[in-house]
Amino acid sequence: MRAVLAIAKKEILSFFFTPMAYIVVASFLVMNGFIFSVILAALSQPGSSSASPMAIFFGGTMFFWIYMILMAPVVTMRLGAEERKSGTLETLMTAPVSDMEVVAGKYLGALALYGAIWLPTLLYGWILSRFSPVDWGPVWTGYLGVLTVGMFFLAVGLFTSFASRNQVVAAIMAFGILVLLITLSILSILATDPFWKGILEYVDLWGAMQNFARGMVDSRQLVYCLSGTGLFLALAYQALQARRWA
Amino acid sequence: MIDVRNLVKRWGDKEAVSHVSFTVGRGEIVGFLGPNGAGKSTTLRMITGYLRPNAGEVFLDGRSVSQDSKAVRAMIGYLPENNPLYEDLRVREYLEFRAALKGIPRSARAKRIQDVLDACEVTEVADRIVGTCSKGYRQRVGLSDALLANPPLLILDEPTVGLDPGQVVHTRHLIKQLAADHTVILSTHILPEVEAICSRTLILHQGRLLFDGTVADLHRGLSGAGHVLCGVKAAREIAQTCIASVPGVSQTVFLEEEGGVARFRLTAPGGTAVPEALFWACAQANLPLVELTTEKVSLEEAFLSITTRESAQEVLA
Repeated sequence: MRAVLAIAKKEILSFFFTPMAYIVVASFLVMNGFIFSVILAALSQPGSSSASPMAIFFGGTMFFWIYMILMAPVVTMRLGAEERKSGTLETLMTAPVSDMEVVAGKYLGALALYGAIWLPTLLYGWILSRFSPVDWGPVWTGYLGVLTVGMFFLAVGLFTSFASRNQVVAAIMAFGILVLLITLSILSILATDPFWKGILEYVDLWGAMQNFARGMVDSRQLVYCLSGTGLFLALAYQALQARRWA
Repeated sequence: MIDVRNLVKRWGDKEAVSHVSFTVGRGEIVGFLGPNGAGKSTTLRMITGYLRPNAGEVFLDGRSVSQDSKAVRAMIGYLPENNPLYEDLRVREYLEFRAALKGIPRSARAKRIQDVLDACEVTEVADRIVGTCSKGYRQRVGLSDALLANPPLLILDEPTVGLDPGQVVHTRHLIKQLAADHTVILSTHILPEVEAICSRTLILHQGRLLFDGTVADLHRGLSGAGHVLCGVKAAREIAQTCIASVPGVSQTVFLEEEGGVARFRLTAPGGTAVPEALFWACAQANLPLVELTTEKVSLEEAFLSITTRESAQEVLA
């Protein structure tokens, strides 16, 4: 566990040494702040729906997904690829640390960074609460959705980063996989055949996020995100193990 | 301490390391010698557990590297080829991270880090960012990391590559000091380095172990032969007859006759027997022996003879 924490800590430290970190965090906050204000403006028009702004913020717009599929690869792309390129993977893998601990440490670091990027958005809820009563239940389930979808996406990014020695290639591969996952959501909306529609509903992340934001926690969607996380972490572990043979 | 048994590593159908076996005892300083691409780094990587061998096994103090990998890795301080470091951390931050990885208790870390910084003389750059340090300092940061957990075995892959002559001397001096209480394996393609530091040499060529012996053995060459230069104050024929009576001389080459002195180069086994016999033979024949030198086979010659003989045999086969 000490090794896991040491690796996670080092990743967090290293992330903030790169200019990329500040670009990601700043653009995320600027754009989300802008989107949040646009949502508020739209909802305060007379005759608009009575939906909760946070519900729309968390799943109702495509901006959420654009950010998710861009941000996750950027957070994870360095983790494995950079170690391979600079050769430091060799010092890491010859330290008395198991490959499992390396994967866990890197993943924990990525998750902490992801959390740190989302943390300031709690302010939006606080701002809302100053002007009108906020139903906090759906806000927290919204964050639960952000967490589980994030866990899934970061696991994908970690896998592609261990599978490549080039950060950009790692990011593009992760981006491709994430686009594919979102495409499944869109297909589930478009599908008319009840058989396919039934299957696609299981993997409908967009719909899942909308449910989370409305305060509904569907165990099917939790299971989907968590098993996706498990699958890609296992693949990341395999990709790392493969280094010992090549 | 190290027991390497029949190690094989293949890249595709090419054998990078081919059935290499050797043992290293506690406290030895072993030089791993070979041209670039000989399989030195690959072998070291299999000993440190970074790479898995396709066949064979490595044991450290009786523990298998593949079965008991974590425990074995805790016994090794490893400086990989090209000395990879995290460029964006400060030297002290880097060592703190490595100390945590190596399981040094939090309370002992600061002291231990200061100790290795002092031992490797990097204290003055401890708060600099690794990427801004000179190559010499970076190399010593890598060495500090290898020493951090005070492991009984140090594996250093080309520790002096790319350093200026002053830094090379300094690094060698440091390694020699470390050897007092560590077992050291050091790879290099620089022959004088082996001569300066190591008590024993392993020569690897095209993935095969061609030579395993002391540096003195290497000087004598594989056959153990050395050369003796001698000058006898006599006519060439008379001197040659006298030399022919000396036992143990396998070959006599006439060099020159100048000022009444005939000079020869004799091929003979190492040691003092032949020069001594030569002296008595000349004395009995009343021939003044005016020059007598034993010529060591230079390391370069020995190395080339070992590595090229092998290739020549391959061509003939």
